[in-house]
Amino acid sequence: MTFAQPWLLLGALAALIPLAIHLFDRRKPRPHPFAAIAFVLRSQRRTASRLKLKRIILYTLRTLILLAIPIALARPELRRPGAAVSKAVGPAATVVVVDRGLAMRFVDGESLFEKARSEARSALATLGPEDPVTVLPCGPEVVPPTAPGLDRSEARQTLDRMRPAWSTADLARCFEVAARTLEESPTAGKRIVVVSAFTAGSLRLETPLPTVRGPNDKRVRPEMVLRDVARGRKVLPNHFLSAVKAEPAPQAGARAVQVAFTVRNVSDAPAKEIQATVELGGRVVGKTFLELTPGGTAQKTLTVRAEVGGPVAGAVILSPDGLAEDDRRDFVVQVPRELRALVVNGSPSPVRYRDEVFFLEAALSAPSSPIRPVVKDASAGLREPLDGYDVVVLANVPAPVPEEAARLKAFVERGGGLLVSVGDKVEPEPWNARMGELLPRPMRLVKAAGAESGAGDGRQAKLGEVRWGDPLFAPFSGRGREGLMGARFQRYMLVEGGARSDGSEVLAAYDDGAPAFITTRRGRGRVLLFTSTLDRDWGDFAIRTSYLPLVQRAAAWLAGALDEREALEGRVGQTLTLRPDPQAQVTSVRAPSGVVVQARLETDHGLRVGPLPEPGLYQTFDSGGQLVPGSQFAVTLDPADSDLTRLDEGQLQAYFGEEAVRGPGGTADRRVPIWTWLVVTAAMAFFAEGLLLRKP
Amino acid sequence: MLAKLAGVKLRARAVMEGVLSGLHKSPHQGQSVEFSEHKEYAPGDELRHLDWKAFGKLDRYYVKRYEHETNLKATLVVDASGSMGYRSGPLSKLEVATTLAGTLAYLLVRQQDAVGVSVVTRAGAADIPPRAAAGHLHTVLDALDTLQPSGGTDLFAAADHLAERVRRGQLVLVFSDLFDDRDEALARLLALRARRNDLGLFHVLDPAELEFPFDDPTLFLSLEDERRIEVNAREIRESYLEELQAFLDRTRAACAEADVDYTVVRTDEPLDAVLLRFLGRRLRRAA
Repeated sequence: MTFAQPWLLLGALAALIPLAIHLFDRRKPRPHPFAAIAFVLRSQRRTASRLKLKRIILYTLRTLILLAIPIALARPELRRPGAAVSKAVGPAATVVVVDRGLAMRFVDGESLFEKARSEARSALATLGPEDPVTVLPCGPEVVPPTAPGLDRSEARQTLDRMRPAWSTADLARCFEVAARTLEESPTAGKRIVVVSAFTAGSLRLETPLPTVRGPNDKRVRPEMVLRDVARGRKVLPNHFLSAVKAEPAPQAGARAVQVAFTVRNVSDAPAKEIQATVELGGRVVGKTFLELTPGGTAQKTLTVRAEVGGPVAGAVILSPDGLAEDDRRDFVVQVPRELRALVVNGSPSPVRYRDEVFFLEAALSAPSSPIRPVVKDASAGLREPLDGYDVVVLANVPAPVPEEAARLKAFVERGGGLLVSVGDKVEPEPWNARMGELLPRPMRLVKAAGAESGAGDGRQAKLGEVRWGDPLFAPFSGRGREGLMGARFQRYMLVEGGARSDGSEVLAAYDDGAPAFITTRRGRGRVLLFTSTLDRDWGDFAIRTSYLPLVQRAAAWLAGALDEREALEGRVGQTLTLRPDPQAQVTSVRAPSGVVVQARLETDHGLRVGPLPEPGLYQTFDSGGQLVPGSQFAVTLDPADSDLTRLDEGQLQAYFGEEAVRGPGGTADRRVPIWTWLVVTAAMAFFAEGLLLRKP
Repeated sequence: MLAKLAGVKLRARAVMEGVLSGLHKSPHQGQSVEFSEHKEYAPGDELRHLDWKAFGKLDRYYVKRYEHETNLKATLVVDASGSMGYRSGPLSKLEVATTLAGTLAYLLVRQQDAVGVSVVTRAGAADIPPRAAAGHLHTVLDALDTLQPSGGTDLFAAADHLAERVRRGQLVLVFSDLFDDRDEALARLLALRARRNDLGLFHVLDPAELEFPFDDPTLFLSLEDERRIEVNAREIRESYLEELQAFLDRTRAACAEADVDYTVVRTDEPLDAVLLRFLGRRLRRAA
């Protein structure tokens, strides 16, 4: 009940006046000697009970008058849920379509889902005993319900089992299924009861309402009865994370992660002081506050630091609102691991800038680099135990002796990375003989370009064909790509022409077609052969802007760190193809709630997982049921589902017809003014009092 | 005007004059002294009644005898209980009763009838036996004049007393409000009629008793005992009037059944008219 002028309720205190008069204003009766007192006594005895009752009624009426008038002046109104128009005459087969979409998780004092369940139970209770009924839980997927029956317990059990979904319901699809179900019933009357919050996303207004087969096989529309669980609300105010992007931020230091997120406010009111918290590895690493205008969007970027490298689970969490489910968004970010690189310097020089690894060391040990290089000369470096390193760089190193070559081979096959660059110390024959099993392709001879070649044009070589899609070169775009393509080479090592079966891949080639970067897999490791020098001896690549990122990226790629960065993210309801390490033998995937998600191995060794049932972090398990480390992935809600804008009265009337949407009360609270009744009550009490007073 | 006259004697005389003037207008005037028979003269008879025409025819002295010479004896019974002292106007019920009784005493004595008085209260009765002497009238009127209302009404005792003291065939005229709580009291009084007494009942009531014109909450006090009751008079008025009307109806029916002349006397109405009504009825009955 609401009051337009609540302060006038103070006037209700006037209802105490009759009581006060009764208690305090007792007039002293006038004494009168009287002869016929016997008749007075007899009359009093005769009328005592009637008079007592009359006094009580009078007191009640006067109190009622004095109570009703001020309450009426305060203009009270009752809010009543609208009931639907019932057009069916006689029994009607009924399908109760209950929206269980994401919007129903909205909490408005009580969750809309529970309200919907109560409304559906109420709808069942109002049906006649001869109305067959069934319940259709309506989510993003629709399962045809059982045929309408007279057994209410089955319908109630369906309601009890129903759970809210993580995506928007498809009401139009549900209406179609409901109409088909109704056609199965022999009962002449057909009715669809819709229990929903009627958000814009749940109902495609361009889809026509379904029809059922009526008398004479004519298609008729079933009676539509709407029960709106968000009555009286124009909008369900909701702010939510529409996008989150987390990526390593090497420029901000080791293990730095840049988290950029977008927050939307779908409401007709501003959202103030929204706290956004960033968690990494279960630890709060950043906080910020946002202000959002009605319908506005805000973007924030936080740079945070992870405690460890590798795949790290994180989340952005907003201060919760009515729909808390979309105020958290999980992600998995590959934090660059700290890589240890052994750089074997094959041509040291006391003049630093002429040293073979001067530029390489500077690039690898840059402040933002995750690589920690250890530089050794050839004799020491090749004897160095390799267990503590992720990558070995052989920079213009003479061919290793067989023992050293064997250790290198074992290192690579265990998963290590090997980068080989050439130079004047590299002789193809011994290299091919001792390191042939590791090299992508055998070396042939050194080719001179430009002035050194003695050719007429004097043109230096440059990169001609580059596989930009390869992880090694993927970051190069725009000016970065121009910087790489601008490098000039006077000499480079030619390699043997490769066969497709040797597993080598040319990632980049010079403009004459000779391979510049060739890679191959050896065991679990990778080998990358750069057919020129890493210093300025054979070209100017070392002083190009592309040098630093390329060598850092090459080291990371060789160590397998680039593969780890490809964190997957899925959407609820969709399927996702995982490409786990074949040796990990991932066989099952579990949702955050522990539910095992359907996973199917495909011919290309991908693991197709889905449909993904819920948002959050998913874990993968091997055939032994053991958790596969580093293979978790995040699943998020579709931001479009978080837009809880409601269909307005006019739209619903236009779609369902005015007979289904019973005026404003059909989808909103029916405001029943009761002050008029109070005035009538007061008038009637006044009239009754007059009658009682008139008739002694 | 009557109220301005102090004493029963004056009021009764005033009423009597009205009655007599009313009687002159009556077509039945003089009927009460109707010729009855001739009687041979004896010393002591009034000479004015000698029938000279008979003397001329028969040469013997005869005197005329009239009806009033039938030697009527009347007892005027006045209820002097406390309730008779009630008044809402200038005269109390007792004053009206004594005035009526006094007037009738005048009239009766005037026509040579014997008249006596019996005053009844709960405490007992005081009697003046009926006599026809002219000087007796003063005794009667003095007795009526000194009456004061007191005590309760006891018609039972009054009826028993009258049954003992009043001889058969006497005229008994009762002036009372009949406010006796016992239902059988009136029947006992009317039983006098069974003893061949000519009984007349003057039911004297105050207009306030008949109309109950009270509105406010009132504390009613009994005039005869300690009873009292606080009521909202307006609320019980209807019920009171119903009770009173039922009482009057019962009384009237009982009197009619017992062949008793019943007259309701309002203390605010002209008493000569009351008596003319009464006398008229009696003349009609005698006719």
